[in-house]
Amino acid sequence: MILESKKVFLSKKNLEFRKLIQSRHGAEKIMSCYQCGTCTSDCPIAKRIPEFNPRRIARLAMYGIKDELLAGDTLWLCAGCYTCYERCPEKVRVSELISALRSIALEEGILHPTFKALFKTIYSQGYIYEIGEFENEMREESGLPRAPEPNIDEIRAVIQNTNIQKIMGGKFD
Amino acid sequence: MKYAFFAGCTTLARLEGYELSTRKVAETIGLELLDMPGSSCCGTTYLEAFDRKASMILAARNICIAEEMGYNIITICNGCTEVLTKANNVLKSDPKLRNEVNEELSKIGREFKGSVEVKHFVRALKEDVGLERIKVEIKRPFHGLKVGAHYGCHLLKPSDIMRFEDPESPKILDELVEVTGADSIPYLGKLECCGGPVMGVREKVTWNIGLEKVETLKKCADAMITVCPFCYLTYERCQLISEVQPNLPIVHYPQLLGLALGLGYEELGIDKNKIDSSNLMKFLEA
Repeated sequence: MILESKKVFLSKKNLEFRKLIQSRHGAEKIMSCYQCGTCTSDCPIAKRIPEFNPRRIARLAMYGIKDELLAGDTLWLCAGCYTCYERCPEKVRVSELISALRSIALEEGILHPTFKALFKTIYSQGYIYEIGEFENEMREESGLPRAPEPNIDEIRAVIQNTNIQKIMGGKFD
Repeated sequence: MKYAFFAGCTTLARLEGYELSTRKVAETIGLELLDMPGSSCCGTTYLEAFDRKASMILAARNICIAEEMGYNIITICNGCTEVLTKANNVLKSDPKLRNEVNEELSKIGREFKGSVEVKHFVRALKEDVGLERIKVEIKRPFHGLKVGAHYGCHLLKPSDIMRFEDPESPKILDELVEVTGADSIPYLGKLECCGGPVMGVREKVTWNIGLEKVETLKKCADAMITVCPFCYLTYERCQLISEVQPNLPIVHYPQLLGLALGLGYEELGIDKNKIDSSNLMKFLEA
């Protein structure tokens, strides 16, 4: 395995993938990482699941190892808590790196079903839940006003030219 | 003081207690929360990673509604606060992205102008109302009640965008708890994430993270308060699912403040919380 070997040879593909990552918002500084491990030390997920390791993700990104980075649950286990973001001494900010990788994964048609379902519901209901007649009746019984009715036509009109539109439009299944 | 009230999704769909208590406390303190017609989900904190432009657009559309109303936005979910604040600040300072977003918004006759601020309800309580003013309104303070405050993540982080308190040593929730007469106690892991965002990917991890804080607080506190519906649901659900007794009472912060302001248990929707928090009543001054 590449991370255990004494010598690391990076192919053209590796370097290209690294460059792709660096072109994404927030991930410009991945090469500043010197593997101090501060990101991992207080990561709430890394503490409980050894398979999720921010330091390792940063290293794989510096080596441009695409298949490992996009595989399994690596990208989906980040809780987005920004602890690593606040503490990284080099401002590499692994949370931004994971965001960059998620955007790349989306372009390849990879999206975890949980998030896909959330965005599909936003597209069809305007919220991440259905808030219909039943829910509004319950609200009225408790003395609350009806929930604002999202302007779904507006939402669909404004996200037409975005990557996520492909998901919400039902292109990926 | 009038505000555009952005209630998000989860509270509207699931947490009548949070919404009731927020509205009642606002009314008592003199904040008028106006509904935003046509508003929708903020987009969620997850969307920015997948598609930054879409995230900015969805958030901006909501912000435009408040701009047209002419009022600053109050949010009650940490996630919504982060998404809307980030979009607001980024679009105010990045003309290129703002133009791109406005190009899409022009299709629906809207334009992001950057004329309003976004604040979490607790931030508005401290900055716009002030602790001194709130103290004056307290009718029956708590005595001897030990509360574990859970800040959550997105109220303060990322700190360069949220520009609020230092996420390593925040004070706001401790101050807002203490104004009610309760003690806001320090505890191990106070600033740790609730783990909610991972629920849809590895549920057990979320319960593990939640229960750890619950067990810590059971030993040193009488109750926990949250300021985010997602955090609240995590700590409530992990207890219900694990069936470990006794439970640690959790309430939304406005419910705690509301009791001290003299409002009623059912009025604040505390009976709608799934974990019984009636023990709080005995700590109120008679």
